[in-house]
Amino acid sequence: MRVSGIIHQQICQIKWHLLACLGLIMVLPVEEAVVNLRAGDGFFSDGMTLVAIIFGPLLAGLIACANVQGDLNEKRYIFWRSKPANVKFLITLKFIIGLVASLLIIACPVVFHFVSNIIWNEEGIDKWFFKFYVPLPILIAIMTYSLCFACNVLVRKTARAWLIGMLTGCFLLVLPFMLPLDFKDFVSDVMIWSWGPYLAIMLITPAAAFVFALYAAKHDWHLKTNLKSLLWAGAGLVFILMMLFSSQVANIKVLQEKEIEFDFGQGSLNYAGSRVVYQGDSYIDDDKDGFSLQKIGSGNVRAYPYSNIGTDSAGHRIHYGPSVAGYSEEIYPRHGNRLYKDAGNEIFFFSIHAYYRSEGQPPLHKRFYEKVYLRSYKHTGNNWMPVCELDISDCFTNKISPYFRAAMRLIDNRLIACVNNSYVLVDVTNPGELKLIDKKLDVLQRFRPSKDRKKEFSIPLVPIEEFGLEERIRLSIDLNYNFNYGDNEFYDSSIVDIHDDKLAFFFIDFLDYDDVARFDVIRWDDEKIYCKYSNSRPFTILESVTGAPGRFSPKFVKNGKLYCHNSNTLMVFDIRSNRRIRKLGHFVRMDYDIQDMAVLEDGNILLCVRWDPEFIRDRSNEDKYYLYLLKNPE
Amino acid sequence: MFGMLLWKEWKENFWKLWFCGAASVVFTIMLFRIRIIPDFSNCILISFIQMFAVPVIYSLDIFSGEISNRTVHLLFKIPVPRWMLFFSKYIVSAAGIILIFLISGLLMEFMSRGREAQVLFLLANNSLCGMAALVLFTWFCAFGCQSRSEADSLVVMFGVFIGWGIVFFWSSVCEVAWAERFVPYSLTLMRITKVGPVWTVLLQILASAAVLAIACYRYVSIRRYL
Repeated sequence: MRVSGIIHQQICQIKWHLLACLGLIMVLPVEEAVVNLRAGDGFFSDGMTLVAIIFGPLLAGLIACANVQGDLNEKRYIFWRSKPANVKFLITLKFIIGLVASLLIIACPVVFHFVSNIIWNEEGIDKWFFKFYVPLPILIAIMTYSLCFACNVLVRKTARAWLIGMLTGCFLLVLPFMLPLDFKDFVSDVMIWSWGPYLAIMLITPAAAFVFALYAAKHDWHLKTNLKSLLWAGAGLVFILMMLFSSQVANIKVLQEKEIEFDFGQGSLNYAGSRVVYQGDSYIDDDKDGFSLQKIGSGNVRAYPYSNIGTDSAGHRIHYGPSVAGYSEEIYPRHGNRLYKDAGNEIFFFSIHAYYRSEGQPPLHKRFYEKVYLRSYKHTGNNWMPVCELDISDCFTNKISPYFRAAMRLIDNRLIACVNNSYVLVDVTNPGELKLIDKKLDVLQRFRPSKDRKKEFSIPLVPIEEFGLEERIRLSIDLNYNFNYGDNEFYDSSIVDIHDDKLAFFFIDFLDYDDVARFDVIRWDDEKIYCKYSNSRPFTILESVTGAPGRFSPKFVKNGKLYCHNSNTLMVFDIRSNRRIRKLGHFVRMDYDIQDMAVLEDGNILLCVRWDPEFIRDRSNEDKYYLYLLKNPE
Repeated sequence: MFGMLLWKEWKENFWKLWFCGAASVVFTIMLFRIRIIPDFSNCILISFIQMFAVPVIYSLDIFSGEISNRTVHLLFKIPVPRWMLFFSKYIVSAAGIILIFLISGLLMEFMSRGREAQVLFLLANNSLCGMAALVLFTWFCAFGCQSRSEADSLVVMFGVFIGWGIVFFWSSVCEVAWAERFVPYSLTLMRITKVGPVWTVLLQILASAAVLAIACYRYVSIRRYL
């Protein structure tokens, strides 16, 4: 047989399909390039290339069916089977020609993206795109091509073969998650680190489908009606078996759900030593049956979540502690959160109170911060009473400031309290007696990495000799990135992970990258910590659409896991597995507002949520509050 | 007579309902059981795949089957108006598409039981995708009612998808709100964007009626091509 003649005949046979597929796959990237050109950015394609190559596997299947059907329809099949042709050789040649044509079609938008971005895009090509987004659709396209090819040899009806091939392909893509292979995260297990079962499936399937097609053609296998019902029955049986042996993969299991009483404010969960305090008035005790709430003190009267509000013997709200007439007050931590210290039978908490007066009318009014105090409160009877106070007003080096920035952290018996760019170090061995150890004004500076996050950058090391080096580095990184105006969770969480003498920290959606990124501390000296981007786990399109946590969402690292949540989604990532970031699980309640969370001693997660009946964020009498005990995903 | 035509089309196209229904049920059960991603994401994933796959399957041989087999000659000899032939095909296909989305939407609701989203939220989103699928199929009828092979139909259907994709992309990027409302895909975003849902639905109904009239006219005048 003349190989060149057969190749020519095959290409002529599918040329219109190839041209149609080429048009379909190129139209969106070209349109995007035109839109970019009209916007003055340059003639290049960006996001639409991904959309186009996602269509690639569908089109590859179409080319496979068109390729086979041409020679397997009844009349032509009888003709060429009557000739002394080597069936296996002919089918092999058809398979290869179609496959090469399909890959060329899929390569077109990729090449267009590559070339147009090099020439016209100022930011150059996106290596991430070529590294992670291009290989997977190509591998899937090879798989769908082979499956559709084999199906068409067997079924000999273009459309039905294409459908069955696609259906089988989809099933094979979901299969690894149903087998006990510990697959949890599509991004890190499949897109980035799929070089195991997934790759095996994508390589073995085409080979198996090809061999099957050869034999089917050689022995003239043709799907008959009786065989069809047998296949349906077989597929149904396989599906039932898969269902019986599969289990939930990435959903975080709810161990207990409890509706709780709530007066006002925001639900808060804070650590007090090894225990967790809910809303400032109850300990949460974790036991075998779940958790229970135990009131702090006698517990007859509810303590208010704000630090200087209590109740008198008649149950009326009263204000404790000093206040300054004509001045407004801001408290850190906010929203009823507190920094507790468990001292044996007694429990204390610390808070920073800033007093300011306003001049002028909003929105042009100015705030003058004049007084700021560090206070300790002790639980006595049913209330929190102030027991000691330190005047740290000189931390406000700039008294006219529209914002008050504060942070606190308790390390052993040392409390570091930061106000704007200054800090004080206080001995809290006896929380009822605060002793000032050190005070430094205007020493806290903030540095951000450059736009190119892959460049090495430095963070100033906080000049506190009291703590060990690791603690200083952790403190410095948190102060640099978590010491925000308004809300911050500096007092009870950190974004730094220390493991095997290696330090790393994590960002979400940082510098416009829609991902969870890891930065390693590579070295340090007396003044600076030097850091470098290590790796990241991008959010999928679906995660971005349905609400992945963003830049300002609460996030923290604890025991090798990164926890982050927005109003209705909690995500847990493993950050120590092979130095990669891997999603372990999610917990979603679309009509809930997650208010606070804590990780208990046994690893389980405690979540305080508000039920939001109409997805609206205003408070109403219908609001309900719940505590959830969740199993920490492994 | 119209009832008999409907019955004929129903029997001829029953495999599509069976195939799409079985595939939808299988993938809904699989994804909602193993929960790789949240329920809402699963719903979006399944609904979007259905939105593209179901109209493709229904459009494959609904018109081209009769033309490629030449049975259209026999069909045209039946003493019924040709518009009835067209509408019997369209109604059966539309009913099939609606049924498939209804089955998968109800199954999603049954499997999720409001565990992550409000009750009926998933069904509503799946139904919106179903509406979009029906509108896309209607557009296919206008262009593909004279297709002579399954491959032609497939190319026409892909053309409809991508054509509206181009309009959607252009109208979103250039912020042409009125054009966006004509795009069938905008139906799927109604619950998220909450921008003029009444106008969007009204425009889609009017556009679909006009397109259906054109499709019917083209099918009635099909003899020129035989």
